[in-house]
Amino acid sequence: MTSAVPLKLAEISKSFGSLQALKPLTLAIGGGEMLALLGPSGCGKTTTLRIIAGFEAPDTGQVLIGGEDVTDLAPNRRGLGMVFQNYSLFPHMSVAENVAYGLKMRRVPAAERRVRVRRMLDLVRLGQYEDRQIHQLSGGQQQRVALARSLVTNPSVLLLDEPLGALDKNLRERMQFELREIQRRLGITSIIVTHDQEEALTMSDRVAVMAEGRIVQVGAPTEVYERPRTRFVSEFLGTANIFAGTVADRAGPEDWAVTLDLDRAPRSLVRSPEPLAAGRRVLLAVRPERLTIGPPEEDGIPARVQDVVFRGSYFAYELDVPGQDGPVFAYSQARREVPADGRVGLSWPASGAIVLQDAPSSQNSPASQDSPASQDAP
Amino acid sequence: MTTVKADPVPAALAEPAPARRRGTPYRLASSSWTVPVMVFLGFFFVIPLGANLWRSVATGDALVHGPFAFYAKLLGDAYYAGILAETLKVGVIATLASLVVGYPVAYFMVRYAGRWNGLIVFLLIAPLLTSIIMRTFGWRVLLARKGPVTLLLHDWGLIARPTNLADDPIAVYVALVHVLVPFMVLSIVAVLQQVDVRLEESSRVLGAGPLATFFRITLPLSLDGVATGCILVFVVTNGSFLTMLLLGGGKVTTLSLLIYQQFNVAQDTGFAAAMGNLLLFMALICLALQARFLRREGVKA
Repeated sequence: MTSAVPLKLAEISKSFGSLQALKPLTLAIGGGEMLALLGPSGCGKTTTLRIIAGFEAPDTGQVLIGGEDVTDLAPNRRGLGMVFQNYSLFPHMSVAENVAYGLKMRRVPAAERRVRVRRMLDLVRLGQYEDRQIHQLSGGQQQRVALARSLVTNPSVLLLDEPLGALDKNLRERMQFELREIQRRLGITSIIVTHDQEEALTMSDRVAVMAEGRIVQVGAPTEVYERPRTRFVSEFLGTANIFAGTVADRAGPEDWAVTLDLDRAPRSLVRSPEPLAAGRRVLLAVRPERLTIGPPEEDGIPARVQDVVFRGSYFAYELDVPGQDGPVFAYSQARREVPADGRVGLSWPASGAIVLQDAPSSQNSPASQDSPASQDAP
Repeated sequence: MTTVKADPVPAALAEPAPARRRGTPYRLASSSWTVPVMVFLGFFFVIPLGANLWRSVATGDALVHGPFAFYAKLLGDAYYAGILAETLKVGVIATLASLVVGYPVAYFMVRYAGRWNGLIVFLLIAPLLTSIIMRTFGWRVLLARKGPVTLLLHDWGLIARPTNLADDPIAVYVALVHVLVPFMVLSIVAVLQQVDVRLEESSRVLGAGPLATFFRITLPLSLDGVATGCILVFVVTNGSFLTMLLLGGGKVTTLSLLIYQQFNVAQDTGFAAAMGNLLLFMALICLALQARFLRREGVKA
């Protein structure tokens, strides 16, 4: 329907007073790609979206849509589509009038307008709702109207600002797939801003994790999840157990043995494509689902089970590991027999641990869970 | 704290007082507390209104020419009908002028003022703290033949030669707008605050320019406030006579000024009462219109 248009942000930055909301940021989004801007509130993701939309002017840098510099264009001249968190439907207009608004502004003749509104409402499965008033619709239906309204003008780029934030969990999951399906079918370049990591992983081709006004890591959802570069990314995208240690020696082609600060024996493994020099201080991230709980006498890190929580599709174990500040989490599909005293041994395969780029704290002091995570990659 | 569930005592044996207290919500006051206000309003509002009604149909000329003689004179006589028309004209012009002046101020306050909002509200309300006579006399000074406004207008070439603008009908409108614009602004602000700025942003992304966005989104959604402000200003204008008395050189004569004159100069209380009732009737029509309009157009953003 639309030809895929690439979008490029070149060195854009923005300050509000003394607050630097965006540090010079460069990002290229391919035609037809769905990119998620993910980060905690205040990380600059919404500012980035508002700069693309034209609501904010960047202090420096350029916004290029299809290779054309639109930095100085008013929002209404950029040919974008946008879905807001609260849908932002016009309350004094019917469903059809809302969807037709953008066409009216483009002076599309009434007859053609009717046809296109109809087609778009059918696409979002609201064909029967043309004459309804907005307040008569449910949250999910309003969301669909907002989507139809933003797509009917064949925008070059679709901007989604926390589009599903106001929906309840089940509806949100259904809408994620629906939205993704429509986006793929139309092949429209899209940017979705969200603080929900699951939404970002589900919906996007690539995820850009943002923190403190800069992009910390960009990559495919699996790549960012499985190979987070920093402690911040590993903890923001899912749960991660962070261990500090020192590289001991090589254990395989890409595997290295590490002596954890809390352990003193070089029995923990980590996989790293780049060689790790012996004696180097490293910070490891291990996902809870990669941790294996075994009997204490085996070659594992001694730990004690504090709590087991049934989470529906898995069991979450909260463990206390001597020498580690804060709890360690392990997820398991099956319920395991835990001895009466709760003592178990923890281990993970080499592929289960990742070397983070953050510098660990000095030797002899175990990495603490609440030490400030450095977000800047070296 | 005892829980309701744990109570094993049958309802009939339980103490009635706490049970009732649990059932009926706690209220600060009972309806008997309104008695003083009702008595006050009865003596100083209902009875005078009734007396006024009676005065307009059963005193002076009304005794000679039938109960509706004053009203017939008011609506039938060309001079008084003219004054009625003038009253409506002044009301409409002052209302429209206040709207044109007030809407941008209200919009600025809601969208851009931020932390200056409090200061602007203060500046809007502060003039209301001074007496209306002071404010009106202020305009006499400003608009006098050698007053600063007159001289400025002359310097800019907007008027051919300095004249006493205070005795020109324009002075009445200037002073009325000055007094009434805060009501308009605050009425519009109250409604405009509920219009989500993202609705305007949506309109912009969808291809509407700033003007189209204003006329298709912002204005329709703030009509409630505009209506409230307009009715307020219109009704208050109809009731003001000091401005017409002190400014405009007697060239702007409205119903309320006439009432003042009938009462103080001609001492024709019956005729003054009839005019007062007509004015009251106009205000009631406005309020009825407002009630209807708000119920029909009430939209929550």
